[in-house]
Amino acid sequence: MAKTTKSAKKPRKNARKESDKTPDEMRDAILDAALVHVPFDGWGEKAMRRGAADAGVTEAFARLAFPGGTSDMVDYYLQRLDTRMTARLSKMKLDKMRIRDRITTAVQVRLALNDEHREAVRRTVTWVAMPGHAELGVRALWRTADAMWRAAGDTATDYNHYTKRAILSGVYSSTLLVWLQDESEDYAETAAFLARRIDNVMSIEKVKAKLRDKTGDLPNIARILGKLRYPEARR
Amino acid sequence: MTDQPQETVSARPLRPLPGDPSMAEEVASMIRVDHAGEYSAARIYEGQLAVFGPDHSLTPVIRRMAEQEKEHLQVFEEIMSDRKVRPTVLNPIWHMAGFALGAATALMGTRAAMACTAAVEEVIDEHYQSQRDLLDHWDVEPELNKTVKAFQADEVEHRDTAIKHGAEQTPGYGLLSGGIKAGCRAAIWLSKRI
Repeated sequence: MAKTTKSAKKPRKNARKESDKTPDEMRDAILDAALVHVPFDGWGEKAMRRGAADAGVTEAFARLAFPGGTSDMVDYYLQRLDTRMTARLSKMKLDKMRIRDRITTAVQVRLALNDEHREAVRRTVTWVAMPGHAELGVRALWRTADAMWRAAGDTATDYNHYTKRAILSGVYSSTLLVWLQDESEDYAETAAFLARRIDNVMSIEKVKAKLRDKTGDLPNIARILGKLRYPEARR
Repeated sequence: MTDQPQETVSARPLRPLPGDPSMAEEVASMIRVDHAGEYSAARIYEGQLAVFGPDHSLTPVIRRMAEQEKEHLQVFEEIMSDRKVRPTVLNPIWHMAGFALGAATALMGTRAAMACTAAVEEVIDEHYQSQRDLLDHWDVEPELNKTVKAFQADEVEHRDTAIKHGAEQTPGYGLLSGGIKAGCRAAIWLSKRI
């Protein structure tokens, strides 16, 4: 009895030491440490090794955290940016905005998050541009566009689900490249570029709406055949 | 009645094995295929209604079934956006194929239209049953299980309505019904995956 009280009294604030953390729990720390080296070393073994050393874990431990190596680390980095973007966007009143403003805001928030490691983002773009990493790059871009549309309150469950994400992938990736070259104050050039791209998308939507108006009056073939087949049911 | 052996759920492991799709993936695939199924069913009825027009004696019967399918579709649309499941890529194809199947069978005759309904709803009934078996087997997703059960009851009712209206008396019933069933199973197989 006395023994339990004694141990209960003891402050057990740090019951689990840093070294007790699981590889999954250390992913953020290793990634953050690696991000410091990525601008100089690029994504690769070196950045992973140095990140592990700076985070105070062994290289083998880092391998457990990112079993797929560099690909896993890049993928996790991009996924974490998506999660953070969604969290930030959920605090803004997007539902009060027009759709185009929601999307503009989403891209701007994403760029602001990218700005924390602008050189690492540049290295990431180079890395995913390599042929062997193309699939990861495309998947990650799609995931980002998906997160943006979901944050904007999109509920499309038809082919629009795909066209919306495809168009936004194009808008975001081209804006990202402009942003990486942008040396203007507060990224004014990027903002102007983004506004122009969104204007382009809106003009596509206008053409689609016109087409819908024009094809709406086409005769319904099934109805005509039906009238021939079942004349008794004709009014 | 079914000519192909049913997948026996009890033979499946109680949890997915390494390398198999995870439970979450399996459930996402269920929601995707169910959404596609209700979407196609609604389109089949739309095709039939387009041919029969507003004044045919069968129109009220079909319209009632079409409305129920649209309610089901709406529920799956909500589940889909809540749970961030992507729709199947094949939706535009089901959009056209469903309508075409409905219109074609309706043009063949009233009984052929009912045979189409009976065949489609029979496959959907089997499909929902196999989903419920798997959910029961794993003991997960009680909400989804309940929704599927309620919808399954509606689909069985549609099949019985169709048979009551002479589905089985259509000439070449076995061939027509078998063909439609095979098509529906292929569509389910595809929608589960892509």
